[in-house]
Amino acid sequence: MFQPIGSPKAPVTVHFDGVPITACPGETVASCLLRNGITRFRTTPVSGAARMPFCMIGHCFECLVEIKGLGSQQACLTVVVEGMNIATQAGAARVAGVGHD
Amino acid sequence: MTETGTSSSPTGAGAVAMDADVIVIGAGPAGMSAATELGAAGFRVIALDMNPSPGGQIYRAVELNLGDQRADPVLARALGRAYAAGWPLVARFRNQEGIDYRPDTTVWELRTDGTVGWQRAARGGYLRARHIVLANGAMERPMPFPGWTLPGVMTAGAVQTLIKSSRLKPTGRVVLAGTGPLLFLLADQLLKLGVKPALIARTDRFGDKMKALARLRPAALPAIAKGAGWMLNLRKAGIRTVTGVARLEAVGDDRVREVVVETGDETTRLPCDTLIVHDGIIPSIDLAQGAGLAVEWRAGDASWCPVTEQSGLASPSRGANLSAGASRIWITGDARQIGGADAAAAHGRLVGQTLAARLEAAETEALTAGPARIYARAMAPRAFIDAAFPQGQTSGDLADSTIVCRCEEITAGTIRSKARQGATDPDQLRGLLRCGMGPCQGRSCASTIGRLLSEEFDLKRPPRPFRGRPPVRPVPLCILATLESLDPELVSSEALNDKPDASGGIDSDV
Repeated sequence: MFQPIGSPKAPVTVHFDGVPITACPGETVASCLLRNGITRFRTTPVSGAARMPFCMIGHCFECLVEIKGLGSQQACLTVVVEGMNIATQAGAARVAGVGHD
Repeated sequence: MTETGTSSSPTGAGAVAMDADVIVIGAGPAGMSAATELGAAGFRVIALDMNPSPGGQIYRAVELNLGDQRADPVLARALGRAYAAGWPLVARFRNQEGIDYRPDTTVWELRTDGTVGWQRAARGGYLRARHIVLANGAMERPMPFPGWTLPGVMTAGAVQTLIKSSRLKPTGRVVLAGTGPLLFLLADQLLKLGVKPALIARTDRFGDKMKALARLRPAALPAIAKGAGWMLNLRKAGIRTVTGVARLEAVGDDRVREVVVETGDETTRLPCDTLIVHDGIIPSIDLAQGAGLAVEWRAGDASWCPVTEQSGLASPSRGANLSAGASRIWITGDARQIGGADAAAAHGRLVGQTLAARLEAAETEALTAGPARIYARAMAPRAFIDAAFPQGQTSGDLADSTIVCRCEEITAGTIRSKARQGATDPDQLRGLLRCGMGPCQGRSCASTIGRLLSEEFDLKRPPRPFRGRPPVRPVPLCILATLESLDPELVSSEALNDKPDASGGIDSDV
């Protein structure tokens, strides 16, 4: 869906839903997931529909993901860090340590 | 030189310690210019910005893309001279003494007394300054149409952000839809990056340009020449373009697969991987609204903007407010009125110089004449641009089944039905339906709700948008629980005097 412009820098590794994926140092979580072809960042709390970043500048909150166990993090404003654990946010955000089920 | 560092009295009734002379919110052309002027005049500035590097949206990642030895020449060419113009602005901002620049910082509260609530990663707190410069920019006008929530539908600004800060370009079947200069600038940039859009579906018509000619001013000619250049490039590249689009729809299951475009007499269906939409930009009024500042409707570009003087000084709204006293907030750049980067930089300088003079209690008129002249020149094309690219998808009929509030998935039909039952203003609708209560706090639906209510009640202008209340952005409880600097108002007035004395001074008769 998206393709790099020019030659990429030495990558770092992050995890998305437990799967290792490569990211460019300094890029945002949103850009990293899009680079890896991921179109489902979260599902909505109301209908369960899939959502992907829409505005990329922190206004729309469509890119919400779980980062390091904390829900409702804006992927478009968070920069990747080596080894970062990112997960799809299913429905409403979970409070750390409290499950939905 | 300044009265900063005034300590608060232990009993709390006195002044609160100031963290800086001025806090600037936003490091785009307006915020950077204001901060640089203030720093140069010897004042202490804290500049808070959501992004990882200075430049705002227009000059996003300009250091990375143009300063880097390995900068990609194709990318530099696609971004063009207008983007490169941000480089010296960023360099001056970076090198100016007196500016404490704090990137990756979100502001979730603003008060007219100069208090700012901030968050940076897992930390948060309050800061206070004698004055605030609010330069939080603009957002793309939310443009609802059937299927606009599908993955793969993105705004033109979002795609530009991916190009600038991530060096990513869309691939596959790319369709652009809507209107406004940004859409055509992006189409031209995509071409230069080797991406050939399958279709540009324009809501504007040739007739709009003819009508706009009445508003043409000589100062607008360079902007028009630039626009004509983009159009010529698109035509030479053989990009298919339709104008006068009346209806747009994105079709797909878990993502966009197809786009449907209807003009008066023709329906086009096209396979599509990325649908890029745009219908102009509007000021970001979230923080101004949250601070209880007055906003007014501007019919010219169909947007709400804060009520300000030419100097940028904002007015509190009438009625009860969260903070007493005169406004200490100065609004500049696109957050004040849409004008683009050059106008924003000029007005930012104007605000910086005016504020510096105010802090020094000096005369301001002679000082700000230069930026004021540049600002007026940069604003000259606006009336023509507004008329040439009138609101498209955000002005036509909205089907009842179309989602308006993306967060809570509330449709136009649901909002209309509540309006018919007597909900006449956005705050009532919010209470009844939760529209505006999701994570985006109404940013994506406020303008559409105003439009639906205007249509429903045949109003000349939309009702006042949602009343804003802090926090204007979601803040994790763990951050609120561990604020590094507490609310200065509470600290000063209460001073936690009700706590037992740790030295053992509990009454002996207990």
